[in-house]
Amino acid sequence: MGAQPTGGLVVTALRARSLTRRLGGVAVVNGVDLDLTPGQVTALVGPNGAGKSVLLDCLSGVARPDGGRILLGAREVTRAPCHWRARLGLARTFQQVAVFQGLTVAQNVLVGAEQHGASGPLGRARVAGVLRLLGLAELAAHPVAGLPLGVLRLVELGRALAGGPRVLLVDEVSVGLDATQVAWVAQVLAMAAGEGTAVLLVEHDLALVARLADRAYVLDTGRVVAAGTIAEVLADERVRRLW
Amino acid sequence: MAAPGLAIDFALAGVAVGSAAALSGVGLVVCYRLTGVLNLAQGGIAVFTAYLLRELAVVRGWPLWLAAAVCLLLVAPGLGVLLQFGVFGPLRRRAAGVGELVVASVGVLVLLIGLVAAMWGTAPLADVPSLVPVRTFTLPGGRLLRLDTVAQLGAVLVVACAVWAVGRFTRFGVRSRAVADDPALAELAGVNAEAVGAVGWAFGALTAGLVGVLLAPLVLLDPYGLPLLVLETLAVAVAARFHSLPVAVAAGLALGIVQAELAWLHPSGTLMPVVDAGQSNLFAVALLVAALVPWGEAEQGLVGGGALLAGPAAPRHRDGWAPLLCAVVLLTPLALRGGGVRALLTVPGIALVLLSVVLVTGSGGLVSLAQGAFAGLGALGTAQLVSGQVPGGAALVVAVLGLAAAGVLVGWPVVHRRGLVLAMVTFALAVGLSRFVFQQPYATAGLTGARPSFLHSDRALYAAELAVLAAGALLVAAVRRGRLGRALLATRDHEAGAWAAGVAVPRLKLLVFVLGAALAGAGGVLLAMAGGAFDPATFDPVQGLVWFATVVVTGVDSAAGAVLAPFVLVALDSATVPGMSAVVVGALATATGHLPGGLTGWARSRLGAWS
Repeated sequence: MGAQPTGGLVVTALRARSLTRRLGGVAVVNGVDLDLTPGQVTALVGPNGAGKSVLLDCLSGVARPDGGRILLGAREVTRAPCHWRARLGLARTFQQVAVFQGLTVAQNVLVGAEQHGASGPLGRARVAGVLRLLGLAELAAHPVAGLPLGVLRLVELGRALAGGPRVLLVDEVSVGLDATQVAWVAQVLAMAAGEGTAVLLVEHDLALVARLADRAYVLDTGRVVAAGTIAEVLADERVRRLW
Repeated sequence: MAAPGLAIDFALAGVAVGSAAALSGVGLVVCYRLTGVLNLAQGGIAVFTAYLLRELAVVRGWPLWLAAAVCLLLVAPGLGVLLQFGVFGPLRRRAAGVGELVVASVGVLVLLIGLVAAMWGTAPLADVPSLVPVRTFTLPGGRLLRLDTVAQLGAVLVVACAVWAVGRFTRFGVRSRAVADDPALAELAGVNAEAVGAVGWAFGALTAGLVGVLLAPLVLLDPYGLPLLVLETLAVAVAARFHSLPVAVAAGLALGIVQAELAWLHPSGTLMPVVDAGQSNLFAVALLVAALVPWGEAEQGLVGGGALLAGPAAPRHRDGWAPLLCAVVLLTPLALRGGGVRALLTVPGIALVLLSVVLVTGSGGLVSLAQGAFAGLGALGTAQLVSGQVPGGAALVVAVLGLAAAGVLVGWPVVHRRGLVLAMVTFALAVGLSRFVFQQPYATAGLTGARPSFLHSDRALYAAELAVLAAGALLVAAVRRGRLGRALLATRDHEAGAWAAGVAVPRLKLLVFVLGAALAGAGGVLLAMAGGAFDPATFDPVQGLVWFATVVVTGVDSAAGAVLAPFVLVALDSATVPGMSAVVVGALATATGHLPGGLTGWARSRLGAWS
């Protein structure tokens, strides 16, 4: 299945072909084709255990796929280590929020900026911009330890955005956020897409998906069972049966 | 000679040591499975029990069976239960990291050794009674078999089978396996993990005591030798990957027998010293090999869960006063008249070694127990260079650069290991370096001295040492404050997150490991110059453990603590008796359960409460 070619003019930011990952003999990701387009938010939905997080791990390099290829822009990154992909402009957040407990909010974001050549005054300026965008400016000097989960998710998102990513993979960002924070995150992600970032949104909150995403993939037991524009996918009979 | 027959005789002799090693391995495995602690205190419990048995049976004249029953069935298990409730239970409750658990067990080890030395002295004893009467009987074919060998082998097999049966067929076995898999989950399911841990410690201490009592008649008993011997049986537990009892028993017996067989294999030629060293240190070789062979799936079970050290509860303050305090304390002796400086010559060297631990473990999150051994390499290199008439300044440069290169070689396999496995790999490295380099004539023969001639006066040497220490401290501060330090802390706090942020984690770990090795090496250079010669005892693996514990006790994040601690410890030793400082560190280390963040963390929270 997968996305249809859009005429060859639009460059894909991230392209996966026949991606397969087996765990204990079971293909938890099974021949997945996936394209992320610059400036678009693509949603990845599916029931628990569908393989969404494993697919994300394969794309970001946390896990090695057992088969298939991954292209980041024009570059093949199937076997490239995680940090290498990150430096090529692929950022991600984790389902279990990943922040650095011993650092402050600003330092967390700075770590993200510094790996992309933005250190010194440039790095500080980048961090200040990201913190303003996320509404975290007042917490900049606050240690991360002890902050509520909702704020931690924003900090993690800030670290991912600080590198100015071309591709942003966001895993269950709405978990633990209240309605205001979800609206804020939605705005930030839309803004990132507006600046040309290709966003992949793994999300349970279908309202957020419907509001934000341009396209969607539906994953079930490791396979893409539906793909298309968000309206098409939400109207799909097979998708309705899954919920 | 009748070679095959002799081989059998040697094999039978090897069974005695081998069964003790197997027993020790079984104890370590069971204790780890039930408590999650790598029990480095095993050797301390063993030596304490052996001395106590001798005290009761020989000095007080109790019947041997009664003395043995009191030691093995009452004192040793009681000690284990005490450890669970006093030391390791509190650590588990606050989900302490691997590094802190290691340090607490080092604390127990040091305390018990210190206690034994204080109560019974350090003179070697040869009159420890054997539990089983030394009687031989003749096998068909004329072989002589010793009754005690048979009894030991029998004891190992009985203990191993009993552990297996309990684990397999009883309700306690099911509960203990649940705790081994996931203590938190087991507690949620209604299992009392505390009680299971107490049983684990009681069993671990019982086997440790038995090992001590079995080994003591075979060796000259002194407070330091036996614990090291028992520590080397860690090889057996590592080979068993802290899981498999049959592998532990087989490995222990096999190592004992092979070691005995090697004793009559006397090769000649240039390789002989190396083979000789290997024969008398086979357990050290096995520990190194077993630790370095890839762990595969077994590593997942060991590294899973918890950080190496519980993360800093409070953010790091800029302690503006700390560098000033360090400078004042260390510079004051220079201003004083008299011989006060002489006693403090070792302070800057030890401070550099401790700073290397702050860098590697505190900032890098790598539990390296080999920093003392790297210092030893630096010291040995200095002694060799100075003996070869190279000036001291050049010796420092060459030794430190050599150490950095060694760090790269060693570090490459090391940086891919994590948690407890890394601790064991580096400890094996420390044991290996000590046994095969520092204590061998081929490395240390012909050394004349390590003090360069132009630093003849104590005052000049101390000033030069302080300059090197200051350079080292500035290096550590620069690393920790900058981009590198942030990337290190990020990696320590959340490795996958750091990867995803673009941090090149392996390269970063290698870099910090190499810097740490060079820093520790520089410390060793200073220690060699301060002592005027190379002394292998300074760089013994247990001394390395004490240094590591010192840093965790003072606060693993605190560079100022690392600089000031040696001053206090050296002063303490010269004011009381040598070895007192180790006992104090040991006592504090056992209290790490109540002292998160070490002394500096405690001081900071006090200061914070005031302001």
